[in-house]
Amino acid sequence: MVASGHLLSVLIFFPAVGALALLLLKNDDELFIRRITFLISLVEFLFSLALLWTVPIGAAGYSLEEFHKWIAAPPINYHLGVDGISMFLVILTTFLMPISVLASWKGVHFRLKEFHVMLLLLEVGVVGVFLSLDLFLFFVFWEIMLIPMAFLIGIWGHDRRIYAAVKFVLYTMAGSILMLVGIVWLYNSTGTFDLPTIQHLLQTGVLVLPARTEMLLFLAFFVAFAIKVPLFPLHTWLPDAHVEAPTAGSIILAGVLLKMGTYGMIRFCLPLFPDASHKAAPYVGVLAIVGIIYGALVALVQPNLKKLVAYSSVSHLGFVVLGIFAFQNIAMQGAVYQMLAHGISTGALFLLVGMLYDRRHTFEISEYGGLATPMPRLAAFFLFISLASMGLPMLNGFVGEFLILLGTYQVNWKWAAWAATGVILSACYLLWAYQRVFFGDITHAKNRELPDTSARERWLLVTMAVLTLWMGVQSPFFTRRIAAASHKVLEQSNGYQMHEALVPGATPALPGMPAANPAELSTERLAGR
Amino acid sequence: MIPQIGDILRVLPEIIWCGTGVLLMLLQPFLKNRQALTLLAMTGVAMGTLSTFFGAWGSGFSGLIQFDMFSLFFHWLVGLVGFLVILGSDTYLGRENLEAAEFYALILFATAGMGVLASAQELLTAFIGLEMSSISSYVLAGYRRDSIKSSESAMKYFLLGSFATAFFLYGIAMVYGVTGSTNLATLATADSHSTMLRLGLTLILVGLGFKVAIAPFQIWTPDVYEGAPTPVTALFSAGPKAAAFALLLRIFAGIDAATTYWFWAFWILAALTMFVGNLGALVQTNIKRVLAYSSIAHAGYILVALAAVTFTKSDVDGGASRAYAAVLFYLLSYALVSVGAFTIISDLGGRGERYLNVDDFAGLGTRQPFAAAALSLFLFSFLGLPITAGFFGKLYIFTAAIQSKLIWLAVLMAINSIIGAYYYLRIVVVMYMHDHKGPVPADAPAGLSITTAVVVAVTVLATVYLGLAPSHVIGLALTQHLMLSAR
Amino acid sequence: MPLHPILDYLWIIPLLPLVGSAINGLLGSNWSHKTVNTVALGSTGLSFLCALEAVREFFVSGQILFRKEFFDWIVAYNDLRIGFDLQLDQLTVVMLLVVTGVGFLIHIYSTGYMAHEGGYYRFFSYLNLFMFFMLILVLAANYVLLFVGWEGVGLCSYLLIGFYFLKKSASDAGNKAFIVNRIGDFGFMLGMFLLFRTFHSLDFQTIFAAAAKSSVAVEPLGSFGILTVACLLLFMGATGKSAQIPLYVWLPDAMEGPTPVSALIHAATMVTAGVYVVARSHILFTHAPTAMYTVAVIGCATAFFAATIGLVQSDIKKVLAYSTVSQLGYMFLACGVGAFGAGIFHLMTHAFFKALLFLSAGSVIHAMGGEQDMWKMGGLASKITITFYCMLAGTIAIAGFPPFAGFFSKDAILFGAYNSEPGGKTLYAVGLLAAVLTSFYMFRLIFLTFFSQMRYDPRKVHVHESPANMTVPLIILALLSLVGGWLALPSFWGGKDYFADFLAPIFGMDEVAGVDRAAAHSLELILSGVAVAAGVIGLLVAWKMYAKGAKQGTSTGLHKLLYHKYYVDELYQAAIVGPLVWLSRNILWKVVDVGVIDGTVNGIAHGTTAVGDTVRQTQSGNTRSYAVWVVIGAIVVFGIIFWPILRNAFTPTVIGGVR
Repeated sequence: MVASGHLLSVLIFFPAVGALALLLLKNDDELFIRRITFLISLVEFLFSLALLWTVPIGAAGYSLEEFHKWIAAPPINYHLGVDGISMFLVILTTFLMPISVLASWKGVHFRLKEFHVMLLLLEVGVVGVFLSLDLFLFFVFWEIMLIPMAFLIGIWGHDRRIYAAVKFVLYTMAGSILMLVGIVWLYNSTGTFDLPTIQHLLQTGVLVLPARTEMLLFLAFFVAFAIKVPLFPLHTWLPDAHVEAPTAGSIILAGVLLKMGTYGMIRFCLPLFPDASHKAAPYVGVLAIVGIIYGALVALVQPNLKKLVAYSSVSHLGFVVLGIFAFQNIAMQGAVYQMLAHGISTGALFLLVGMLYDRRHTFEISEYGGLATPMPRLAAFFLFISLASMGLPMLNGFVGEFLILLGTYQVNWKWAAWAATGVILSACYLLWAYQRVFFGDITHAKNRELPDTSARERWLLVTMAVLTLWMGVQSPFFTRRIAAASHKVLEQSNGYQMHEALVPGATPALPGMPAANPAELSTERLAGR
Repeated sequence: MIPQIGDILRVLPEIIWCGTGVLLMLLQPFLKNRQALTLLAMTGVAMGTLSTFFGAWGSGFSGLIQFDMFSLFFHWLVGLVGFLVILGSDTYLGRENLEAAEFYALILFATAGMGVLASAQELLTAFIGLEMSSISSYVLAGYRRDSIKSSESAMKYFLLGSFATAFFLYGIAMVYGVTGSTNLATLATADSHSTMLRLGLTLILVGLGFKVAIAPFQIWTPDVYEGAPTPVTALFSAGPKAAAFALLLRIFAGIDAATTYWFWAFWILAALTMFVGNLGALVQTNIKRVLAYSSIAHAGYILVALAAVTFTKSDVDGGASRAYAAVLFYLLSYALVSVGAFTIISDLGGRGERYLNVDDFAGLGTRQPFAAAALSLFLFSFLGLPITAGFFGKLYIFTAAIQSKLIWLAVLMAINSIIGAYYYLRIVVVMYMHDHKGPVPADAPAGLSITTAVVVAVTVLATVYLGLAPSHVIGLALTQHLMLSAR
Repeated sequence: MPLHPILDYLWIIPLLPLVGSAINGLLGSNWSHKTVNTVALGSTGLSFLCALEAVREFFVSGQILFRKEFFDWIVAYNDLRIGFDLQLDQLTVVMLLVVTGVGFLIHIYSTGYMAHEGGYYRFFSYLNLFMFFMLILVLAANYVLLFVGWEGVGLCSYLLIGFYFLKKSASDAGNKAFIVNRIGDFGFMLGMFLLFRTFHSLDFQTIFAAAAKSSVAVEPLGSFGILTVACLLLFMGATGKSAQIPLYVWLPDAMEGPTPVSALIHAATMVTAGVYVVARSHILFTHAPTAMYTVAVIGCATAFFAATIGLVQSDIKKVLAYSTVSQLGYMFLACGVGAFGAGIFHLMTHAFFKALLFLSAGSVIHAMGGEQDMWKMGGLASKITITFYCMLAGTIAIAGFPPFAGFFSKDAILFGAYNSEPGGKTLYAVGLLAAVLTSFYMFRLIFLTFFSQMRYDPRKVHVHESPANMTVPLIILALLSLVGGWLALPSFWGGKDYFADFLAPIFGMDEVAGVDRAAAHSLELILSGVAVAAGVIGLLVAWKMYAKGAKQGTSTGLHKLLYHKYYVDELYQAAIVGPLVWLSRNILWKVVDVGVIDGTVNGIAHGTTAVGDTVRQTQSGNTRSYAVWVVIGAIVVFGIIFWPILRNAFTPTVIGGVR
C-alpha cells in the first residue's frame, strides 16, 4: 500500500505521449517512423521491467497505488495499482509491442504514421485496463482500446478486414455495454466505483448483494469478459479478426487482448461476486472444456493456417478459464502463468505465420508444403514454437497446462480428464499442419525460391524462442510473484477455505496420508450454496 | 400597467436577440457584406446571452416568466447554439448565395423564442415562445428556395407543426378549464386525479413531443432535417429540442397530476423512440437522414431520464435531481456535438448539398484528415465512447435509470447503443477504410473553411472537455435542479 | 564422507549430450563430418565416462539411494514443488550404463552409416538430444521430471523418424508416433494427478515411502483401489511408449527412420522406458494386484500377437520391429508377474542383442545399397561375413539358446511367469509359444538374408562389407549379447544371480515367493530345457521352409491377415481418425461454427437491419399519412395515460376504481 512515484501513470501515458510526438513530427520518412516507434515501445518495456523490482514478492495487496480525484459526481477516481498478476500482464504487453513493431517492418507499407500511432494508443488502452483499480476507469480503458484495434484490423488488414473490424467492435461492445450497466448498478448499491473499497465492503459484510442481484451482476461482467476471452460459444469474432488483422494486430490480439477477458474474471468476477461465481462454476467449467476440445477439433480441419492458430487460442484460453473456475490454488496460479505463456507462444506463432504471409501473401496451407527445404531456419523456429504451444515439457506451454490440470484434478477429476484430451488434440492439429506446410516435396514452384529468415526476423524469433525456453525452465520466477495475488483472489472468492481442506499447505508438500476425497468436497462446494 | 425594470431585465436577452434581428432586416438593403452581417448577428447573440448577467432572479410580468438558474442554463445553451450556428452558416450562405440578413434574423427570432420557452412560467407564454421559434423554423427550413426538397420540407414542417401546435393549444385550454389557471405554479398544486387535467397535460405532451421528435410524433423529422439547409438542421437538432425539453421538465417535474401512469407513458415512449430512431438510421444512406434518425434516438435516451424523473419525483434520495442533471447535461452535450457534426457536413456537402451520401465520404480520412477526425470524434460521442461528452451523457442517464430501478429500460438503452454503434461506425469505416469510388469530383470541397473550422474546433474542444472533466457542468446542472425545486 | 565430483554434479551426465546437440544443431550446418563427429561422439563419450565414474562413486558410497535437488522447476506456492531433482540407485545404474554405453556404440556406428546422408549435423544433433532426454528420464527423481524425459524422447523419436522429411511416409510415421504416444501420455498425466491427489507429492521417495506403508490400495475409487487406477493410468502411458497393445501401432511405422535410430530408440532404449517406469513404480504396482495382472496379460498377449505378425513380414526391419514389440511384451510379462529383476535383466540383454540385430540389418541394407526386402536378398553370408556372424549371434541370443544372453533373461521371465498366480501356467504357455515363433521368424530372417541363392541382380547391387566404424560396434555388441547373460547364471549352473543381487535393494531378493530353493532349481532346469527345445523347434521349422530357398508366400487367408497386421491400422483409421476428422470438418466447423453460432450472430444483425427497413417504410413522405401517425400516436398516449380508467370501464365489477 505504498503510494510511491508515478510509475504506473508513466506506463500508461508514455505511449500516448509517444503517439502525440509521432503525430506532430513532420518527418514522413518511413524508416524514421519505424525506428522512433520501436524506440518508444522499447523504452516503455524497460519502464515496465522496473515493476519487477518495485512490486514486492509475496505482497498480496496492490502496490504503487496512485489515487487522484477525477470526477466529483459520480465519484470517479483515477486509481491505479498493480499486483503480481497485473504486473506480468503489463510486462507482457510492453514486451509484445516492440515485437509487433518489428514484425510489421516489412508487412506494412502505407499510412505508416497512423499505423504506429494506433499501435501506441492500443498499448495505452491495454496497459490502462491492467492497472486500473477503479471500475469506471477500467471501463474507460476497456472501451478506448477498441478503436485502435478496430482501425488496425480495418485499415491494414486483409480482404474481409472491414467485416472483421466491425464484427470485432460490435461483439465486444455488446458485452461491455452490459458490463457498464452492471458497473453502474454496483455503484448504485455501493456509492463508489473504487474496486478495493467495494471489496472491503463485501468482506466486512457491509455490502451484501441479494443472490439474484449478484448473479445478474456476475453475468453482466462475465459475459463481457467471456466474449473477450473468447469462451465458447462467444468466440466467432476471433477467427475473422485474426485472419484479417495484420501480423502486429494478431500478435497483440492473441498475446494480450484475450488475456483482458481472463484478467477481468480474476480481478472482478471472482472477488466481487464470489457466490455467484461458485454457482456458475459448473457451467463455466463445462463451457471451458467444450471450448478446449471444440477449438482443437475445429483447428484440426482449418485449411487456413492463421485460422488454425486462432482456433488453437480458443482451445488454450479454455484451459485458463478452467483453471480460474476450479477455485484451486495450483490451478489459479497455473491459469495466470498460462496467460503469459500463451501470450508468448501464440504471439510467436502469429509472428511466424506473418513471416510466411510476407513471402507468399496467402494463409492457405495447401499453398505451402515442403518449406523446410528452402527455409530450414524458419522451419526450425516454427517447430520449436509449435512444440511449446502443444505443451512440451521444459517449454512454457507445459507448465501452465500442467498446473491447471493438476489443480483442477484435485477438485474435479472429471474436468481434468476431459480437458487433458486437449493435450492430445493440440499435438494433432499442430503437427499435422506443420507436416503439410514444411515437410514433403515442394508442391508450388513459387515456394522453391522463398528466402529464409532475414537477420531482423531471426532476432525476433530468437528472442521469442529463448523466452519460451526460459519460461519453461524457470517458471518459479513467475509463479513466485503471482502466488500471493492469486491466493488472495481465491480467498476473496471464499474458495480458499475449501481448498485448504484438501491440501495441507507446506513447501514442498509433505507426504501425508490422503485427505478426505476432495472430489466430494468440491462437488458439494460447487453445487451447493 | 408599466413593467418593472426588473421584468425588463428578466427578458433582456430576448429583447436583444429580437432587436438584433430587426436591425439586421433593416440593414439588409444597405449592408451587402456578409461577413459584417455575420459579425453583427454573432455580436447580437453574444450580447443577448451575456445580458443574462443582469437578469434578476425570480418571476416577472406577474408570474408570466421565471428567471432562475434553470432558464439561465437554457438561455446559455440556446445562445451558444445560435452563436455557433450563425458562425457556421457563414460559409454555407456564401456558397449557396442566400440572403444572409434575413437568415440570421430568423435564427435570432427563433433563439428568442426558445429563450421564452425556457423561462416560461405560464403556458400561454410558453405557447408564444413555441410559436416564435416554430414559425421562424418553418421559414428557415424552406430557405433554399431553389431547392424543391427544401420547400417541401418547409411545407411539411409547417403543416404538421401547426397540427401539433393545435394539440398543444387544446391542452392549454383544457388545463385552464379545469384549474382556472395556466400558471405552472398553480397547476403544481392542482388536484392530481382530475381526468380533464390529465387529458390537457396529455395533449400538451403530444404538442411538445412533436417538437422534440418523440416517436410516434417523430415522423416529420427525417424529411425536414434532410430538406432544410444543413446549418438550419444543426439548429433544429440542438436548439428547439433543448427548449422544448426544458418546458417538458418544468411541466412534468413540477405537476403532481403526473401519476405513475405518466411514468409508464415516458417509459413506453422512451423505448419506442429509441428503437424507431436507431432502427430507422440503420438503413439510411444520406448522412443527414442518418443523423436525423439518430437525433430521434437521442431524444429517446433523454426520455429514459425523464421516465426516471417522473418515477422518482417523490423520492428523497436525490434520484430525481440526478435524473434532472442527466437531462440537462445530455441536452448540452448533444447540442454541442450535433451542431459540430452538422456544421462539418454543411461544408462537406458541397454546393447544392450534392455530396451528402455516406459513400461520398469514402477516403475522407486521407483527403481531409482534420474534418474526418473531428467528425469521427462527434460520431464516437453520439455512440457514447469514453472521453467524449456523449459517454458521460449516457452514463448519467444510465445511473439515473438504474437508481430509479428502471433496470430493463437501461438494458433496452444498452441494446440501442449497440444498434447505434453500427451505423455510426459505418460512417467512420467509410471515411477511413473505403476508397472513394472513381475520381473525387472536382467541385467537392477540398477543406473546411475558416469559420467552419472555428466552430468545429470549439465543439471538438467542448466534446473532449465534457468527456474528461464533466464535473463542473454536471455540478451546475445539479444546482439548477435544486433552484428549480426550491421554487 | 568421501568427495563425489560427479555425483554432486550429476546433471553433467545429461548436460553433455545437450550441449553437443546444441552446438551441432546451431552451428554445425556447414561443418565437416569430422567436426560434427568430434562434438557428437565427444559429448556422448564423455557422458558415458561420467556415468561410469558416477557408478563407481555410487558403489564407493555404499549403494544407498543417492538423491539431489538441483533447482525448483515448477512451483505453485504453498502446495506444490517440482524440482529438477536427480537420483541414482541400482535400477538407474543399469539403465544409465545401457543408455550411455549402447548409445555411444550406436553413435560410432552412425558415423559410418550416415556418412553419405544429407543433414548429417542435424542427425547427430537429434541423436544427442535424444541422449539428453533419455538420461533425464532414467535419472529423474520425480514423476514430472521423468515425464520431461518421457516426452522429450518422444519428440526426438518424432524428429528422427521423420528425418527423411521429403518422404511423406516418413513424416506420417513421425506424426503417428508422437500422437499415439500422446494418447499414452494422457493416461500418464492423469496417473500423476491422481498420485498427487493421494500423496500430495510427485517425488518418488515420498510416494513410495507412503505407499509402502499405506492402505490406499484398498481405498475405493470407483470399484478399484486408488493405486490400481493410478497404476493402470501409468501403464497406459507405458503401452504408448513401449508399443504394447493397443498402442503398439506406431513402432513398425517408425522403421521409416534411419536404421541406427531404430536400433537406439526403437529397440535398445526409448521403447524400454515404459518397462522402466513400471519397474520404477513397482511398489505401487505390488500394492495393486489387479494392475499387475493387467500388465502381465497385456505383455503376454503382445509378446505373442506381435510375434505372429513378425512371422510373415518381408521387410527386414519390419521383422525386427515386431520382434521388438514382442520382446517388450516379455518384459511387461516379467513385471506383471512380479519378476521385475528379470524384466530389467531382459531389458538389458535385449538392448544388446536387439541393437546388434538392427545394426547388422543396417549393415545388410548398407551393403545392399538401401534394399530392405528380404525377398530381394539371399546368400549374403559369404559376402559380408562379419555382419553375418554378428547377426547370427544376435539371432541365437534372441532365440534363447544358451549360453547367449537371451536365454538367461527369457528363461528367468518364463520361470517367473510359471510360478505366478493367478493363471501363471497360461501366461507361461503363451510366452513359450511366443518363444517358438520368435526363434522361427528370426531364423527365417537369417536364412532368407544370408543363405540359399541370391535373389538380386549382382550387376546392379555391389554388395560390400561395411567400414570398420560400423563393424566394430557390431562386434562389441555381439560379445555383449554373448556374455551379457552371464550376470545372472541360473543357480543350477552353479552360477549366482549377480544381477538379482545387485537389484535386490530395489526389488527385494526373492522374486519368486513361496517356492523353496530346491524345488526351484529342478523346476528351473526343466523349464529352461523346455525353452531351449522351443527355440530348436522354431529353428528347425525355419530351416525346413527357408534354408533351401523359397518363393514369397502367396498372400491368402491367415498369411494375408498376418501380413496386413490384422488390419489394425485400417481399423483405427476407419473407427477413430476418419470419423473424428469428418465430424470436426463437416459438423463442428461447417455446421456448428459457421452455421449455427456465427449464423445466429449475423442473423441478428440482418434481422435488425430488416426491421430498420420496415421502419423506413413508414416514412412514406406523404404528409397526410404523417398526420395520421401523429393522431395514432396521440391515441396511444391517451391509452397509456387513461389505462386505469379504461380498465375499470371494461371491468365494471371493480368498485370505486380501487386498484
